[in-house]
Amino acid sequence: MHKEEKELRKKDIEKRTLFRELFDIFSLTGFLYGPLDERLKFRDALEKQLKKTTPHYRFFIERNFLACLGGITFVLFLIQVATGVLLLMYYRPTIAEAYNSIVEITNNIHFGWLVRGMHHWAANVMIITVILHMTRVFFVGAYKPPRDFNWLTGMTLLLLTFTFGFSGYLLPWSQISYWATTVGTDSIGAVPFIGETLRYFVRGGPQVSQLALTRFFALHVVILPGVALFCLGLHFLMIRRQGISEPL
Amino acid sequence: MGKDEEIKGEPFFPNHVLKEIIIFLFILGLIITLATFIPAPMGSKADPFSTPEHIKPEWYFLAGYQLLKLAEKLDFLGAWAPKLIGVLGQGFIVAIIFFLPFIDRGSERYPHKRPIVTTLGILGVVSFIILTVWGHYS
Repeated sequence: MHKEEKELRKKDIEKRTLFRELFDIFSLTGFLYGPLDERLKFRDALEKQLKKTTPHYRFFIERNFLACLGGITFVLFLIQVATGVLLLMYYRPTIAEAYNSIVEITNNIHFGWLVRGMHHWAANVMIITVILHMTRVFFVGAYKPPRDFNWLTGMTLLLLTFTFGFSGYLLPWSQISYWATTVGTDSIGAVPFIGETLRYFVRGGPQVSQLALTRFFALHVVILPGVALFCLGLHFLMIRRQGISEPL
Repeated sequence: MGKDEEIKGEPFFPNHVLKEIIIFLFILGLIITLATFIPAPMGSKADPFSTPEHIKPEWYFLAGYQLLKLAEKLDFLGAWAPKLIGVLGQGFIVAIIFFLPFIDRGSERYPHKRPIVTTLGILGVVSFIILTVWGHYS
């Protein structure tokens, strides 16, 4: 009798959670509710995900900063996608026009300076947060099995972030980007046996020129984002499956 | 079971999601502030016929750049040595970090209970910072 009463009260509380209220508002649009939800069980799937718990951290800095570095990096990635798509609308990837289009974005396009500045700064802050995220995971030993494979996807994402930075640096076709890329790609030639061929392949020729710009552009806006999204999917999937590692 | 979960952690929704939204807004504010007060650099147009005096990469490649410069001191081994050792050495370090969980097989997580890995980690962080600063001023 007493037990039943408790059960009833629990059900009542569950019914009135904020989540249910919010979900019901969205359901009114008719997209998720009704026949579609019956077939695909959106509500059940979403509720299962949202009910999962995150670890309770004892220290303020861990709770609000150290444990959030991965999430902050993801937020910065989203900012990069949004500002990157906007820049793509006005950027012209040719050696004759690339620099002029960047000047035009900065000086003439409405809020172009802001979008370009955000892309520049989010990139730099993102490098810092991925490195800090990796350092934290390293020192708390969160890479230990069963999370050893997630360290691999994380390291791949770190290297992708660096490659994003390297390829994006050439795109404005300014003096510094041209020469930094020349020196950077030059060191690829030191790899034994295939070095020269590899350098030729990356540059699209003996020197950094139009083909190099086209290749870096394709890498920066199509290939890397695709690979990064795939790795992010794996990274998050494994976190959801295995849970976040317990704080020490 | 319900009670256990309460002690173990915070619910993902709404507690954690709310925190994430606050962080998102904070980061967005930080990025917009930086973009407004320190604009992205805009040099002169690329000129393949005039090499600038000092060519330096972005700050996060400075450590690697400085290591390549240090490897130049190995030229007493022959003309091949500096570049090969500099580039392959860095590749080796990256590979070690990449496959770390398969090299460090122990299940102990506390930093002070696995002194070798922790010491190597601290050395790595410190040398990365030193090389970056050194690369910036060299």
